[in-house]
Amino acid sequence: MEKMLINAEKRSLFGKKVGALRRQGSVPGIIYGHNAKPIAIQMNARELARFLTKVTSSSIVTVAIDGENHTALIRELQRNFIRNEVIHVDFQEVSLKEKIRTRITVSLTGVAPAVKNFGGIVLHEREWIEVEALPTDLPERITVDLSSLENIGDAIRVSGLNLGDAITIFADPEEVIVSISSASIAAEPEEEAEASESEPEVVEKGKKSEDEE
Amino acid sequence: MLMPKRVKYRKQQRGRMKGKALRGAEVTFGEYGLMALEPGWITARQIEAARRTLAREMKRRGKIWIRIFPDKPYTHRPAETRMGKGKGNVEYWVAVVKPGRIMFEVGGLPQEVAVEALRQATYKFSIKTKVVSKFVLGSRENE
Repeated sequence: MEKMLINAEKRSLFGKKVGALRRQGSVPGIIYGHNAKPIAIQMNARELARFLTKVTSSSIVTVAIDGENHTALIRELQRNFIRNEVIHVDFQEVSLKEKIRTRITVSLTGVAPAVKNFGGIVLHEREWIEVEALPTDLPERITVDLSSLENIGDAIRVSGLNLGDAITIFADPEEVIVSISSASIAAEPEEEAEASESEPEVVEKGKKSEDEE
Repeated sequence: MLMPKRVKYRKQQRGRMKGKALRGAEVTFGEYGLMALEPGWITARQIEAARRTLAREMKRRGKIWIRIFPDKPYTHRPAETRMGKGKGNVEYWVAVVKPGRIMFEVGGLPQEVAVEALRQATYKFSIKTKVVSKFVLGSRENE
């Protein structure tokens, strides 16, 4: 796994004052875990944005805080949904010798024959899986090949993943990761729209109160 | 058109639309979505018009998810009536939308088709919207 590095420095502004930090082009964050005291940090927003295009939720990253390196995972990312900006990052410091529980991104590869032949739709129903493993055994992502999905209704389940003995999966084996649905689903709501329009029924409690008035 | 099957009370007060959407602000089911950038009341008619536009643009491919539901009754007094005599009649139903809310999602389509379909659907709304893609950590397509 490629090691990624992000430079950070200790942060002295907390609470509502971090707004000023963001205006200056920095993003606040924190690093915690593995019997260490939490350290409030700040990173350059541009550098962080570039860094986040390379990492996944199971990537082991190195956070260099004033020259001191910390091995960590990205635990949580807070975003401003409207402006699509990262506003805070949580890093969890990890020991390379202890097992950790984290999420691994599931990505899809290939073209399903059902899509080619029958015009089916690929529904990616599970985008991550919770696993437990040593940080060194964690893959960046789980790649699922779609070439086995030949008919509409076919699915790949959690039980169909082969991650080896070093990784324990915490998910229902019957849970669907990706399935092929028929394209006619898009036409379904058309019929619903034709349903007769009538007043909704008022449940008893509402009726009583109106009568009392 | 969408409307509740059962309600507890026939009419509601108008309320206020302060703040941003705290829930339903991320593309969850599909790959692309239509995000509200302003607060507003989206009528059941607008939702239905946008859905039809999407279905037409998508040419029976892909899948649509409607992430808002018009559960607020909109009342209106008849024209030329004097004040008093109680609250008006329910005319239609609206969904309360705040900035950041994902109103529609589409999936199973090429990017150009999905973006164009959602762009056409924006014309059906009275509020500003934008087309967004699903946020995936480690992806360059985060906008």
